[in-house]
Amino acid sequence: MASVIVNFELCGRDVEVLVQPMTTLQSVLRSQLGYTATKEGCRQGGCGSCTVLVDGEPMLSCLLPVEDVAGRRVVTLEGITPIDGLHPIQEAFLESNGFQCGYCTPGMVMVAKALLDHDPRPSREAIAGAISGNLCRCTGYQPIIDAIEKAADRLSGSGEQTGGR
Amino acid sequence: MPQALNVVGRSVVRSDGVGHVTGRTRFAGDLVFPGMLHLKMVRSPVHHARIRGVDLGEAERVPGFVRALTWRDVPHNVYTILSLIGVEPEEEFVLAQERVRYKGEPIVAVIAETEAAALEAVAKVRLDLEELPAVFDVEEALRPGAPVVTDWGNNTFMFEGHPSRRVRLGNVEAGFARSDYIVEAVYNSSPIEQAPTETTGCVAVPEANGRYTVYTNTQALYFSLDNTAIILQIPGKRLHFVGGTVGGGFGGKVDVIVEPIATLAAMKTGRPVRYVFSRSEEMQVSSTRSAWRIYMKDGVTRDGHILARKVTSYADSGAYSRQTPYALTKHAANVAGPYAIPNVSIDAYCVYTNRTPASAMRGFGVTMGSFAVEVQMDRIAERVGVDPWTIRFINAYHNGDLRPHRKIAEDATLIETMQAAAAFVGHQLSDEQKAMTSAPRASLEGVR
Amino acid sequence: MTVTDYFLPRSLSEALDLLGARGPSLMVMAGGTVAMPLVNDGISLPTQVMGLRHAGLDELREEDGELYIGATVTLTRLLRQQALPVLSEAARNTASWSVRNMATVGGNLFTPPPGGDIAVALLALDTSVALTGPAGTRLIPLGAFYTGFMTNALQDGELLTGLRVPRVAGDTAFIKFGRKASNTPSVVTVAVRVARHDGTVTDARIALGAAGPHPLRASAAERVLAGSALGPEAIEAAAAVAAEESQPFSDGVASEWYRRKMIRLFVARALDRIWQGGEDR
Repeated sequence: MASVIVNFELCGRDVEVLVQPMTTLQSVLRSQLGYTATKEGCRQGGCGSCTVLVDGEPMLSCLLPVEDVAGRRVVTLEGITPIDGLHPIQEAFLESNGFQCGYCTPGMVMVAKALLDHDPRPSREAIAGAISGNLCRCTGYQPIIDAIEKAADRLSGSGEQTGGR
Repeated sequence: MPQALNVVGRSVVRSDGVGHVTGRTRFAGDLVFPGMLHLKMVRSPVHHARIRGVDLGEAERVPGFVRALTWRDVPHNVYTILSLIGVEPEEEFVLAQERVRYKGEPIVAVIAETEAAALEAVAKVRLDLEELPAVFDVEEALRPGAPVVTDWGNNTFMFEGHPSRRVRLGNVEAGFARSDYIVEAVYNSSPIEQAPTETTGCVAVPEANGRYTVYTNTQALYFSLDNTAIILQIPGKRLHFVGGTVGGGFGGKVDVIVEPIATLAAMKTGRPVRYVFSRSEEMQVSSTRSAWRIYMKDGVTRDGHILARKVTSYADSGAYSRQTPYALTKHAANVAGPYAIPNVSIDAYCVYTNRTPASAMRGFGVTMGSFAVEVQMDRIAERVGVDPWTIRFINAYHNGDLRPHRKIAEDATLIETMQAAAAFVGHQLSDEQKAMTSAPRASLEGVR
Repeated sequence: MTVTDYFLPRSLSEALDLLGARGPSLMVMAGGTVAMPLVNDGISLPTQVMGLRHAGLDELREEDGELYIGATVTLTRLLRQQALPVLSEAARNTASWSVRNMATVGGNLFTPPPGGDIAVALLALDTSVALTGPAGTRLIPLGAFYTGFMTNALQDGELLTGLRVPRVAGDTAFIKFGRKASNTPSVVTVAVRVARHDGTVTDARIALGAAGPHPLRASAAERVLAGSALGPEAIEAAAAVAAEESQPFSDGVASEWYRRKMIRLFVARALDRIWQGGEDR
């Protein structure tokens, strides 16, 4: 089995990895690059805990062979977390207790990021729709929707850009 | 001088919150060690079978295959999780020996260089199984001639010499005879999977000093350490368990399933070994809340006093008992409900079937009992012709009442809780109900 | 699961060449939302895989009143197109945002039931599928594409390259009924199209998902409608026949018994929606 070399942009830096053919982006991130914010809840595309942004769009890294993202821009939760402090979405999750065990949180935050980039003032219904692929077994979702609403208020209220697209 | 409260009554930011929202929290399955191997399990494809043979030949030829573990490799292959608190007999096999008793029961552990190689090798292990009749219903399992799941000839767990956990107070037959109404019903529930977002898993790492560090997402760190030591027949001091970060558990991660075999694999290979359930394993083989069947018969007077309650409950423990005997004990202590009933008879059975072993889940034992009790109370109210609030005020226990398991109630709050609930939902209580308290009764006359 | 070769062809001809050279053992994958879960769990153990994500099959265009949908157009793009609102609605009711960003319209035709919701809407629109092999492209009706549970009319060396949705007459309605509001597997999916002249039905399509081994049309129910005056009586009669002629199954989502009841209910609701004039183009 010959390994293959794949290059892509990860959180603003160029990375080059040597992988077995059709290794998932999830596995490369977690096992090779140490980007473990991207979680592994099902590897079936069913839980959303491995959500990353590919060219700004949320995708499931467990279903993506890393070869498919060659030359593309991948952003994980590490990529939106400032060196000091928190992104406004993270602050809102923290303040609203939009998490309990924390396992679904990275996926939730990444979908929230993509949603607010597309639609800065989403309705609660639009938020619920956006996170419908992200399963949380602890919170019951309301605090998560509250957090995304709060983040939307802050980001659009202050005219702050969330970057990305 | 009392200090001002600075936590109680306030919202505080959780200490693990920043780690969670940044994804920096390290869960057990996030850890990667140089040279780490991957363990995957060969599982029974059927509910009940005799194992005639296991052929590893083809699996061993998969590139990346390192070794396999069978029951012969496990120093003490039979155990009971609750043996640490004196529950017996030891009955669960770490790896199946001559029989498999539920679909998904582990038979052979395969260790390989990569997860992909481990999965491929698992697929290439050939099992020679003689399928046996299986039983999936608690009452069918107790009938003569039913398929026997255990090694001791029947499907019953024994509680100190009795086939059920028993509670007796007064004389229920006499109570029924004095009653105006008899209200009887049966309550059934299905198993429930806790389905945490993070699946059960651990990484076992051999250390230079001869110890093994086990990073695990168990909810029961020391239960896991002690049972691992027993199964591996090594002193507990050779094990260092690191835990406390759990990606959802709800009771589903209190069983000791992955740690012993991952540690054994690390011992046999001298390398770190990762054993993390796939989602389908989490759904199929991690233990569930048990299925229940609860028969309840109450004798009630015309004015709504319950004189006698007889309960026969069956918890479906699945193929092994795990924490279900404990659930039955809690169940038996609580299934009369928070009500003062002078004549009570409870028999709660822990029954073995060929289903996935059941275990802990949020209030297990009590939850289904409470469901049955409260639906039953509504039925009694309907029969007596009073509203559901009234039947509960009439029968609520007070401090000082004797509960069926011989404990004097000293924490009664049902009356006050109902008064608060009524205020929240705008339900108008009678003056008498508003004036009631859980304070001890003036005389025990009310409790016939 | 130990894949030795993963090919990502950059054109259709490259893809066809690979398929021709490697034969049926080459696993073909588009969005990966159906295939990757099987590979990840070791249920499917391919050694050679071809991914179509970059093969240039993602054209979406309107021409001569037809909509051409390349096989690898994502469900997100289908949702955003405005030519056929019923297809947008079908896409909106399929999976989650992240999955829609990956899953493809072509791949939806290979999704086992209770999946395949897009195909249900496509069936009601008389869609044809383009199957391309070394000898060229043949166009067959979508209804003829399915030959059984997880089997289809593709021949060795052929790829599903695109879909043609013709301009068709009538009003359409689409209802997916699941156990949650969104991102939910189907209990039953219904797409109907009814053309009328002076209140009489001239042409009817009733397509069902999660009602058999693959998305299918309730042809007997369509015949009940044809020539009738669309109204409560005809709607009830057609819904009853649709429930009877369908072949629902039991799974973790719903029982056969429940699905059959829901087929009757939701076929009636979809037709009712057209009769009440609530919807559509």
